[in-house]
Amino acid sequence: MENKSGEKKLSMTYKVKETIVKTSLLALATTFEIVSKHSPELKAEIADWEDGRVFSLGVLPDGPAVSLKKEGDQIRYLGKGYKNPKLKVLFKNVDAALLPFTGQMGSHTAFVQHRAIVHGNIGEAMQASRAMDIVQTYLMPVFILKKNSKRPPKLTGAEMLLKARVMTTLGIGLLLNMTK
Amino acid sequence: MRIPEYYEYSCPVKIVSGLKALSNLPYEMDQLGVNKALIITDQGVISAGLIKQVESAFEGSDCEIAAIFDQTPPDSSSKVVNRVAKLYQEKNCDCFLAVGGGSCMDTAKCANMIVTEGTEDLMQFQGAERLKKTMKPFIAVPTTAGTGSEVTVAAMIYDEETNVKMAFTSYHLLPRVAIIDPKMTLTMPPKITAATGMDALTHAIEAFYCLQKNPVSDSFALAAIELIMGYLEKCVKDGADEVARLAMANAALLAGISFSNSMCGVVHGLAHGCGGVCRVPHGVANAILLPWGMENNLEKVGDIIAELAPVLGASTSGGAMEQAKAAIGAVRDLGERLKNLCGLPTTLREAGVTEDKLDAIAKVAINDGTATFNPEDVTYEVALEILKKAY
Repeated sequence: MENKSGEKKLSMTYKVKETIVKTSLLALATTFEIVSKHSPELKAEIADWEDGRVFSLGVLPDGPAVSLKKEGDQIRYLGKGYKNPKLKVLFKNVDAALLPFTGQMGSHTAFVQHRAIVHGNIGEAMQASRAMDIVQTYLMPVFILKKNSKRPPKLTGAEMLLKARVMTTLGIGLLLNMTK
Repeated sequence: MRIPEYYEYSCPVKIVSGLKALSNLPYEMDQLGVNKALIITDQGVISAGLIKQVESAFEGSDCEIAAIFDQTPPDSSSKVVNRVAKLYQEKNCDCFLAVGGGSCMDTAKCANMIVTEGTEDLMQFQGAERLKKTMKPFIAVPTTAGTGSEVTVAAMIYDEETNVKMAFTSYHLLPRVAIIDPKMTLTMPPKITAATGMDALTHAIEAFYCLQKNPVSDSFALAAIELIMGYLEKCVKDGADEVARLAMANAALLAGISFSNSMCGVVHGLAHGCGGVCRVPHGVANAILLPWGMENNLEKVGDIIAELAPVLGASTSGGAMEQAKAAIGAVRDLGERLKNLCGLPTTLREAGVTEDKLDAIAKVAINDGTATFNPEDVTYEVALEILKKAY
């Protein structure tokens, strides 16, 4: 529904859901940055990506979105919105995005249930999906990973330390990235 | 039966199936309000004399064949697609008519995309559900019984400039009509009949146990498997058996509807890798890999695979796991029987794959979209393990 000035009138419930998704996207992007600096597994996963590859995660039709870029052997958060991405992973609506971001469903299940789609090369989407799975390992609690993953990850000592590091630095990272 | 939390299903294709179904082609064109067809086919179809059958179907009608494009390669490319689109416009055609296998269908789907969207750049439509415009009328006449492309939402095209295989999925890509006439598959040699039939079996079985399964696609998958088990060997033994050919053409179509709505899994991903790296025909690779792919998923969906035992003619005694193993055994036995009948390979080595290529195939497979829909996680290690077993 639109008001007199042509703006969409959104309910409080919708605004809350959109805020959760917006924050989750920012948290995922920030974790991507942190993990890509320290995780040999993620570095190996993105090693074959061409330098400068940009990909975005977003919500249709014009919901929140974030863009990330491969620079060297790391991933950098470019900011909110679509920054000329080669690949887009898109959720069909806010409810569809809410499910994986709140741990109610694994990211592969979002695709299986037609809640998410890919605009771009499928091979690159698979690479991005594996990279996101690695990042989620550091972001999500173990019980959610067990419930949502096809094969729940088993963290090594070094990986558990990295997870602790992510948890302690995520807040600062979020604050820094919020302005981008 | 497991009811999915959520699913989507669509197949708006009109199916015209039966003996002399091809004679209805002008009528179906008239129903679509078109009368100038561009035929997209290949040299194999031409040399088998099948285009003559299509031409004779136009006799006495107001419809005409405006042009024939007969240079579709086995793996079609963006250049070919653009040539087809240009021909369509030059000859003022008003519908696409694909006569052939998967590559002809994919070429028609993508040329339709170019014409409808008014672009030459297919790349911008890569991915899922990017098309919004209603496409030009498209009629499909399959000459193989395997791909099911006449009822699938997908198309795969190679881009020469970037060396990338581009995948497109959209409900707009679906043909408006699929004409299934057994006389169009009568000339298929036994080994190709077997390989394409096993492709259809793989579509149906993977659609039945992979993660996007749903009650509607399940019913199509089961019907397809029943037809394949009843008629594939008959077709291989006697290619002139029109009833068996019609049954197999329908089996491929049903399996196509099924997997277009519930997707395939690791077997298809690995078969794409075998095709890309070692040029193994898709149906041959599927035939070899299917029992191994089913085994790989036993732990996760053994109970679902067990449901296939009766329709595969396997033992239904014992618990779910025994029945699932019996179902896999039945698929393996079918492969062996086809090997004896027509020389269809049962190992990757027999199909010409060398051991040093397994690594490259596994790397292709994990980047194939089908990995998402496989119940078991398809990691590089898992893919390589299946390949080694099938080698």
